[in-house]
Amino acid sequence: MNIKVKNLSLTYRNHVALKDITLELSGEKIYGLLGRNGAGKTSLLSVLASFREASSGSITINGEEPFENAKIMQQVAFMYDKDYKDESDNVKDMLQDIQRYRPNFDMDYAEYLIEKFKLNKKKPVKQFSKGMQSALNVIIGLSTRAPVTIFDEVYLGMDAPSRDIFYKELLKDQQNHPRIMILSTHLVSEMDYLFDEVIIINKGKFLLQEEYNSLISKGATITGNRELVDNFVQAKEQINVQQLGDTKSVMIYGELDDHERNTALAKGLEVAPVSLHDLFVHLTEEE
Amino acid sequence: MKQTTTFPKVAKDMFLVQLYWAFGFLGIMLVIHIVKIITAFIQGNEVDSYYNSVFVAANIFMLVIGLISVYFLPHYAGNGVTRKDYFKGGLLASIGLSVVIPIIAICISVIGQFILKNMANIGLKEPNLNEVVLDIDSNIIGDIVQSVILTPFVDPGSNWILAIGLFSLNIFMYYLVGWFISASFYRYDTITGLGSILLGLISLTLVDVLIRMSLNLPVADRFSSLDLPAVITIPGIFVIIVIIIWIIRVLTKRVSIKM
Repeated sequence: MNIKVKNLSLTYRNHVALKDITLELSGEKIYGLLGRNGAGKTSLLSVLASFREASSGSITINGEEPFENAKIMQQVAFMYDKDYKDESDNVKDMLQDIQRYRPNFDMDYAEYLIEKFKLNKKKPVKQFSKGMQSALNVIIGLSTRAPVTIFDEVYLGMDAPSRDIFYKELLKDQQNHPRIMILSTHLVSEMDYLFDEVIIINKGKFLLQEEYNSLISKGATITGNRELVDNFVQAKEQINVQQLGDTKSVMIYGELDDHERNTALAKGLEVAPVSLHDLFVHLTEEE
Repeated sequence: MKQTTTFPKVAKDMFLVQLYWAFGFLGIMLVIHIVKIITAFIQGNEVDSYYNSVFVAANIFMLVIGLISVYFLPHYAGNGVTRKDYFKGGLLASIGLSVVIPIIAICISVIGQFILKNMANIGLKEPNLNEVVLDIDSNIIGDIVQSVILTPFVDPGSNWILAIGLFSLNIFMYYLVGWFISASFYRYDTITGLGSILLGLISLTLVDVLIRMSLNLPVADRFSSLDLPAVITIPGIFVIIVIIIWIIRVLTKRVSIKM
């Protein structure tokens, strides 16, 4: 499976939602799509899922254009924060209906997840709380086992323990049934360990795509004596500065080479990695 | 991965869901009918047949479910079904429904009449739905309202195949107009949607007049000077239906799914 997006733009009436986005997803990995509110995450994902057509540029999944392509659309599952206020069916009926259209759907697995999330199988879905509806979206998305599975912030309504169940089940199922999994979120610090690769878009534009590990090695936190730290970081791009008495901690952006790292350590400074959260905040900061 | 054709599945599912609604509608009509029979029995009046009551009310029912049918689209798109498969499935389901409802109505009606004749001895009103047309003063609103309430009618007792066929055609037309209006609202803004209501009403009136002319039924005064032969009116009906179906497809072909 691979997804290629080339010079993709999307314009609503007068508003440019996506501008000239080019990226490629290849391999069954978990991709974290990060962006601030209104960055265009949902717009990008809805084009991937053929919910709308791009204004210009191209998108191919396995070399084929997905829009109105029955073969491709069947393999893409797009879960978003859907409103179930009119859904009078219960979970069981809903899943049975979905199963008819999704060739890889695993009902046993869905049942297992329903137990895990403690959803009432008989109650009409419209009577579910926000958190239960989110859990239902997660259950549908996972048990559909679509080769391209997209979760667009569906976990926002869930409480922390439920989100935790979701993360665990996601990793487990990804191991057993690898697929291209795209998770869009701004709960960065909570989900960063899930991502194999990170894509950041900002104001409708592509910002970066990188392996999670190599991305977080792009920054470091230098902690130690104030003067020593100031000395060491003066030529670096500083993201964040904290000071307590004589101890200073500075977060820098830009990779440290071995020599610099050893120098820092020799001076008695502490070098720690930065979090994806900090990098994300820094990279998408308003000027 | 196994690749099967999806639209027959959509057709079956949409047909069954809407048939389920139709049973609700037909059930309510049956209750009303039974109440009418009881009142007639007490007061010694005549009653309309069940078929005739359903004939009048089914148009509105089909218009309403036609209006809802565009909301199957986000459901199917969300499950990886193309707009084309949704369109084909929805169209087949609506045809199926248009054929099945009159058949169910006539079956219940025949059973009902049999029971009435043998047990209660209540007279049935002669169906004269077409005659009402002449009583109303001719104005365009009147024409439209009339064409909604009183679509061309053939008594199933005289020619039941024609009667059922006409019934099917009537309700199919109403479903299509409902679908067309909802698709316009879904695709465009409110103004365009309102325009589509007007266009829908015009097509309903036109088809109504063309059917009446084809069957030599009374036509509203406004159109009575137009005496078109069946070789024009019947293809005319067909053309209008095809155009509406085509517009529905154009409206939904590349539409963005609302989230």
